[in-house]
Amino acid sequence: MKPTLGKKIEPYVWLLPSIVLMAIFVIFPICIVFKLAFSEVTKAGIVGGFVGFRNFKEAIGLPAFKQVMINTFWWVISVVGLSTIIGFIIALVLNQKFKGRKIARSIIVFPWATSLVVQASVWNYIIKYEYGNLNNILLNLGIIKEAINWRSSFQVEFVWECWVGIFVTIPFVAFCVLSGLQSIDTSLYKAADIDGASFWDKLFHITIPLVKPSLTVSTVLNIIYVFNSFPIIFTMTKGAPANKTDTLITYLYMLNFYDRQKGPATALSVIGFVILCICAGIYMIAVMRKEDAE
Amino acid sequence: MINDINTKKTNRTALLLVIAALILAFIFMCLPAYNFDVIIYSQKSLNTTIGDANYSAALAEVQKEQKRLEAEGYTSTINETLYERTKKSGEVSSTVTFTLNSTVQKSMLAFLGTGLASSYVLLAIILFMILSIACLAAGLIGSSDELWSRLNGKAKTFRTMAVALLLVACLLVPVFYMTNTYALSREIYLYGANLIDQAGSAEFYQKIDYLLFDGTAGNNITDFIAGMKFSSTLWGWLTLPCVFAMLIGAMQIRHGNIKHALLKLLLYAFIIVICVLTLYPYYVMLVTGFRSSAETNDMYFLHIFPTKWIFQNIKSIIDRGVLGYLKNSLLIAGGATVIALICGIPAAYSLARMRYKGRKAFLGFVIMSQMFSPVVLLIGISQLMSTLNLNDSIIGLMLINAAFNQAFAIWLLRGTFISISPEMEQAGRIDGCTTLGSLWHILLPMAAPGIVTTLIFIFINAWNEYTISTVLISTATNRPITVGITQFSSFNMIEWQYLFAASLLATIPVVILFMCIEKHLADGLTSGGVKG
Amino acid sequence: MKKVLAVILALAMIFSFAACGEKEAAAEDITLDVIICQYGPNTNEWFLGKGMNGTNFVEKFESENPGVKLNLEVVSWNDVYTVVDTRIASGQAPDILNIDVFANYASEGLLMPVSEYCPADLYEDFFPSFIDQSVMDGTVWAVPDLASARALYYNVDMFEEMGIAVPTTWAELEEASETILDYYGGEVYPWGIDMTTDEGQAAFAYYTWGNGGGFVDANGNWAVNSAENVEAIEYAIDLVKNGYTNPNPETQTRYDLQDMFAAGKLAMCIAPNSMPTYCADKGGTVNMATAGIPANEGKTGSSVGVMDRIMAFKDESAPDQAARNEAIGKFLKFFYNPENYVGWVSMEGFLPAVNSAVAALVESDPSFEAWLDVLGSCQFYPTAKAEWDQVKQGVIKAEQEALNGASVKDQLDALQAALQ
Repeated sequence: MKPTLGKKIEPYVWLLPSIVLMAIFVIFPICIVFKLAFSEVTKAGIVGGFVGFRNFKEAIGLPAFKQVMINTFWWVISVVGLSTIIGFIIALVLNQKFKGRKIARSIIVFPWATSLVVQASVWNYIIKYEYGNLNNILLNLGIIKEAINWRSSFQVEFVWECWVGIFVTIPFVAFCVLSGLQSIDTSLYKAADIDGASFWDKLFHITIPLVKPSLTVSTVLNIIYVFNSFPIIFTMTKGAPANKTDTLITYLYMLNFYDRQKGPATALSVIGFVILCICAGIYMIAVMRKEDAE
Repeated sequence: MINDINTKKTNRTALLLVIAALILAFIFMCLPAYNFDVIIYSQKSLNTTIGDANYSAALAEVQKEQKRLEAEGYTSTINETLYERTKKSGEVSSTVTFTLNSTVQKSMLAFLGTGLASSYVLLAIILFMILSIACLAAGLIGSSDELWSRLNGKAKTFRTMAVALLLVACLLVPVFYMTNTYALSREIYLYGANLIDQAGSAEFYQKIDYLLFDGTAGNNITDFIAGMKFSSTLWGWLTLPCVFAMLIGAMQIRHGNIKHALLKLLLYAFIIVICVLTLYPYYVMLVTGFRSSAETNDMYFLHIFPTKWIFQNIKSIIDRGVLGYLKNSLLIAGGATVIALICGIPAAYSLARMRYKGRKAFLGFVIMSQMFSPVVLLIGISQLMSTLNLNDSIIGLMLINAAFNQAFAIWLLRGTFISISPEMEQAGRIDGCTTLGSLWHILLPMAAPGIVTTLIFIFINAWNEYTISTVLISTATNRPITVGITQFSSFNMIEWQYLFAASLLATIPVVILFMCIEKHLADGLTSGGVKG
Repeated sequence: MKKVLAVILALAMIFSFAACGEKEAAAEDITLDVIICQYGPNTNEWFLGKGMNGTNFVEKFESENPGVKLNLEVVSWNDVYTVVDTRIASGQAPDILNIDVFANYASEGLLMPVSEYCPADLYEDFFPSFIDQSVMDGTVWAVPDLASARALYYNVDMFEEMGIAVPTTWAELEEASETILDYYGGEVYPWGIDMTTDEGQAAFAYYTWGNGGGFVDANGNWAVNSAENVEAIEYAIDLVKNGYTNPNPETQTRYDLQDMFAAGKLAMCIAPNSMPTYCADKGGTVNMATAGIPANEGKTGSSVGVMDRIMAFKDESAPDQAARNEAIGKFLKFFYNPENYVGWVSMEGFLPAVNSAVAALVESDPSFEAWLDVLGSCQFYPTAKAEWDQVKQGVIKAEQEALNGASVKDQLDALQAALQ
């Protein structure tokens, strides 16, 4: 009996450090969030008694709720989608052998190595209308004749925010894909060459299927990170004008610390969690099924 | 044999292409590349409609001035710009501004010998082109139609040299444009606005005078410069595709395979474009970081580079504690990475190698733990840390960052371990290793690359963490760099130059770390990779 | 299995080591947690670095007041609400806080009344009108820290060149704007307006107070949707719509406006009294002067004052309340000591809150005197009301919605309804 028990327990022993670390530093705070979401929270942040779903009702009833959800959807779709496509192309290129590859790879890492607050500040500084660097350069190169107002409407501002989001997410995707690409056996390509396969054949029948696993993991983590990303929008517009450029996370931050509606703000974060859970859950089930099938 | 003949034919076409492009390039260099528009005199007519008294009076004034200048030997044209606006009351108000313009067009070649920085670049372009042609000629003598494989060593070297020289010439064309535009715009603006009055100004005026007015402007040059605008034209830019065509032609003569040559060129072009785009914000940080406070306000679009590089800025930010913040960040990110790996490796190992209940649930749970933004968890974290007495401590931040990166570590490492065949370990175990022993001695060395990837991911995430540190750290000397730099944006003013200098400084350690382990990353991902 | 155990033990040790690595303060010392906001480039240096004649506030205070230790933290305005609220929610409220609002904290019973810790002679020293701004339910909950007054700055050279007078009424402002636009052919923005999420409430104050309206009515009740307010905000929005202002008022902050003014791109802008210092620092050579903020025809405009406060939080867990209160008193005494306070206020270009500092400040810079007069007639935000945060965010949103085409009246009506 004894060795069987040992064998049974062993895997959990291996998991223990990780479980302890996460239970203390991640799960405990998450429990607090759930507690807050169902409690009354005063403006200064004092936690009161249990109020059921009142916070949730208030949160969903907020006038900006719909707009914010739509923005969040576009934010996640555009940033994750475009950064995945561009990151994939860059990874394909960086996987080629060429002189200066090491330098090129190090340069691609740059946007990732700078904190989001700083990145957003720099872009804010670049796209200023009256004395931004972008207008400056384009004018000097003779590409434009007059300064362009890069921030003329909130739609344009939102596009800029998405651009910065894409800009900082590309390295993450590129290196995830690169890791997948390098695990592909080169003999597969050689065999395809002999069969007379074109570049596109190789891309769709060898590269993409083999990179898919690393791409799906990075995409799921990416969706979570982008959904929860708040410094870019907060630094560039603070959701101005009137929450029209807010995503869920910046909106609840403003709601929490500026409007001081702490109860609904916490409820919103739980709603965001549920949405993410559903998305990721579907993905997890799909992936796990496939793994079992193998 | 048919192949041979084809190659010989394309070789000859390529030679012709080079010659044609060369001729075109020189022609374009002689055509006007820049328009200089000097405003000699201007007169405003307010609240006017075209043809009314105000308008005619102003126009007469301008014509008088034009006659006066004509007597002095300047030809000028009268331009009028109309600014029209609908007033609140509904009536249209317009302002006409008359200017006396003297327009000069200059070709690229006109800049030769002016002594401006760009003139040396132009000289280099021409020199490289001529040298390249010479090399090509030398490489072609007696063997113009020959295949690459049949050439002798000397001819091969000459042809390679020719391609390299043309490549440099090709790259120098935009460099010429940039230096020319920047040098002119910046200096014209600065001297014209009397912003800098240095010993060299007289010399500069002379150069411009010689270039634009054949030395006739004399003392008037300062007034002319103050009202000068200039723009580049299409003709000059067409030199670039010509040089590019020469390059392709030469490459083909060298390789005999135009498709391959083109692909390689496109590859480099793509990489250069991506790198330039990526580095653009860093260029902005760099030049702003070395500006004086006065110059961070770059209102008139003219200072592409600081008029004076203020290296003092670096000293100022160091005096304000930036090095200490960097040290804290290194400690936090380094510690977090180590802890995350120590906890993550065993977990990932068991998930990859063992079959037991709750495995999938655990993987799902790990992903779920990532789904709250740290911003949302602040209150819980703060409560927790005060209970554990880890408030305001670097160790606390290490643990938090390690915990928040567990998902990443576990998923990535699990993929790495799965991709390594378990047979090696089994062999090790037969040799008498324990599970831990085989993990340590066999699996980890093999998985090193995957571990390195995970390491850089966690390190960067921890390095950039901001919100939690803001709330947890209350002693200034314990702050990481992300929080430390907030002292440069205060209620009264944002000190852009310090903010950006410090941010740039904060980027360097990460890039250095990346460069150190890039090699492992490259090899390792061969065996690494994330297998879902 | 032994090795597994060893690893687990090692991990356990790391955790316990981490948990034990706490700082232990000497038992008899009282440590005060202080949060100060980042006012200007020198704030951090003055409190913690070497900005106070080679030493700093904390060092000097601790050497002069043995037995009291300061755990002082300078936080940027962007983060301060997050930091303070999170600390309060997790039971770690600071002892002393420097911030702009106090009503939320006071209404929830977190603050101590000033009378419990502020020495009487110091209390007498504060400008009474400032103290009045921190009264709620008849109790004074905070003391004024410093103030700044806003006025209209204009580019003297431009107005001289065009030969027009500085506008004093709204109609004149529109007229002057048209002249400026025509004269400079659209190259110069006549008027600066800031309706950002950072400080849009200031714009609300400038225009509504200049039209006899305001955040509250004569009885001190919220009246954000009064007819005067609607008219005033519509007027401000019209300024933008007619092209008299900077193009992106939703995202162009006060800094952007000040930068433009310093570079001669903006003819008039409302700015705090530190404007000349700011422009000089930005290398601007603009010849500037101040004037009153334009008001509507027949209404008197009022200067806008912004005041920040220092407040002390309750701490039931402190073993000796009397000693703690005394320590807080010592902190205030030291802070407002003219020897320190004058340097602090003048360094960041603010206006003082205590009488004893006036003489020294006027001596160092004669222009202070004029500003002190302005300060006497200033109106302040109604920060003593607990709903202030909601109102502040509400008016900013209303302005931004209006900029995007919504009706001002509807927006303000909705806000007023939400307040009742």
